[in-house]
Amino acid sequence: MNSAAAPAVLATGVTKRFGAVEALAGLDVAVRTGEIYGLLGPNGSGKTTFIRCVAGLVRPDAGTLTVLGRAPRDVVAAGRIGYMTQAPALYGDLSVAENLEFFARLEGMTNAKERIETVLRMVDLLDRRRSIVSTLSGGMRTRTSLAATLLHEPDLLLLDEPTVGVDPVLRQEFWAHFRALAAKGVTILVSSHVMDEASRCDRLGLVRAGRVLAEGTASELVARSGTRDLESAFLALAGATA
Amino acid sequence: MRLKRIAAVAERIALGFRRDRRSLALLIVAPLLVLSLVGAVWGGAAQTIPNITFAADRFGVPPAVASRLIDALTRSDAIHAKSGTFDDGMRELRDGTTDGVVWLDGATVHIEIEGSDPLRSGTVAGGVQKALGEAVVTLGQAAAGAGIAAPKVVIDQLYGAPDYTLLDYLAPVLVAFFAFFFIFILSAVSFLRERTGGTLERLMATPLGRGELVIGYLAGFSFFALIQAIVIVAFTVFVLNVRYRGNLATIFLVEAIMVVGAVSIGLLVSAAARNELQAVQFVPVILLPQVFLSGLLIPVSQLPDWLRPLSAILPLTYANEALKAVMIKGAEVSDPLVLRDIGVLALFGILMAAGAIASIRREVA
Repeated sequence: MNSAAAPAVLATGVTKRFGAVEALAGLDVAVRTGEIYGLLGPNGSGKTTFIRCVAGLVRPDAGTLTVLGRAPRDVVAAGRIGYMTQAPALYGDLSVAENLEFFARLEGMTNAKERIETVLRMVDLLDRRRSIVSTLSGGMRTRTSLAATLLHEPDLLLLDEPTVGVDPVLRQEFWAHFRALAAKGVTILVSSHVMDEASRCDRLGLVRAGRVLAEGTASELVARSGTRDLESAFLALAGATA
Repeated sequence: MRLKRIAAVAERIALGFRRDRRSLALLIVAPLLVLSLVGAVWGGAAQTIPNITFAADRFGVPPAVASRLIDALTRSDAIHAKSGTFDDGMRELRDGTTDGVVWLDGATVHIEIEGSDPLRSGTVAGGVQKALGEAVVTLGQAAAGAGIAAPKVVIDQLYGAPDYTLLDYLAPVLVAFFAFFFIFILSAVSFLRERTGGTLERLMATPLGRGELVIGYLAGFSFFALIQAIVIVAFTVFVLNVRYRGNLATIFLVEAIMVVGAVSIGLLVSAAARNELQAVQFVPVILLPQVFLSGLLIPVSQLPDWLRPLSAILPLTYANEALKAVMIKGAEVSDPLVLRDIGVLALFGILMAAGAIASIRREVA
């Protein structure tokens, strides 16, 4: 972890409104390069909207947002972001390998064949590479989706609830991968409402109603709230600032 | 704009189609099925031959003259004629066994028709007129034997031929319609799946630009549209024996440019629809005005004045005009009319593609 370097993601007072709904209400966050930063919050708290802002898919109404020191769209155009959507975004009528080949071509990769094998081995799907995605189980689709996200070795990984519907064994494996990537300097911004998952992050931002209510490591948040676990800490901190 | 990314999108569409055999069959087999039906209905005689009863008791001429006239009339191929009384004829007209009763009142020819079906009424009047003309010639030839010159009518056509069936004239517009119809539906549903399945969001988080995505789609679907056009044209020419005069390459060029507009409208519609059912509900909105106003069923020149501006903004109007000029009149791509139509179709395609690109921007910022 290199906390002295410029933040990989720096958001200051970011707001976004969809009609009557205020999805982000002045969100401030600074994600350090090479850390795993968890956005923890209930459904509808603005986690996904913020990740979509970082992925250049949603333009904030106000506030500033820099990603890897640049505007989000520029970083996406440079192929430095890997975005794993909440539901696996894959082509059901293509095979696992064809999906990965397609995304590799979009990222402008030249040595795709070897790299596809590497990521498929990483998610334990090498023997299913020729399977049509629509025939795979939910867990296998999630693994394929992760493989497509890691394919081009991005500097910043955006993982929107990556282990929803994933069994405990696979979740363990996923986190081992995330930890290994962070050790190599990859910054990971992950959203979750699962406490077990959140406790694996280097730092957490508790998000509610489009704002970060509290920030720190899991143990810091527990200590600050005077509670025994992260879930109670979240409830206490959310209640105190509501 | 990277050609490699555009090619990746186009190939992705082709790969998906390769697996989706039903859609592929829909694209190719469905038009052939409908064309075969159209061929069976319109490919035979262009018109039905009406049954006509000549009321010999009301010809107002001596029986010998009436008999000769009716004899000459029955020789015409334009009608199935028979002689009878006026009362018999009227009874047959009511029970539907005859289509018209003809009698003479001095120099006036009266035709009594049933009148409940305007199309049938038209064939009666035309048939009787033609038969009368032929009878005059037949009687004139008899007179010629007596040293009197008979008039002779010869009709020459600039385009087509007297033995052209309705299908020969309709084939060009049907080719355009099928290409537009199927490609529009497939592209609308296909892109709707990108939007609702989350892949569009995923694509927009890669270096792929919106323009590259739309051009990739245009390329992917144009490829299948061209295959469809080749099959349809080959089928109409070699199986249904539709006659065409123009250059095949020009036909495909017009089709390819029209398809750009069809795919782009499909992409635009996918932005307005929330699910596949809604996308299909756009079919009548987009296609029916073109069926009625593009010259497919009714020539544009015969449309009411207030509808013509609407006809002028529909892409099928120009595709129909160009394909008719090429297939029936044998016009080349350099023909000013064909060039103008191709230009309008290209402009339409560019405008719709720009709209499709803009529709992606609205959704994903």
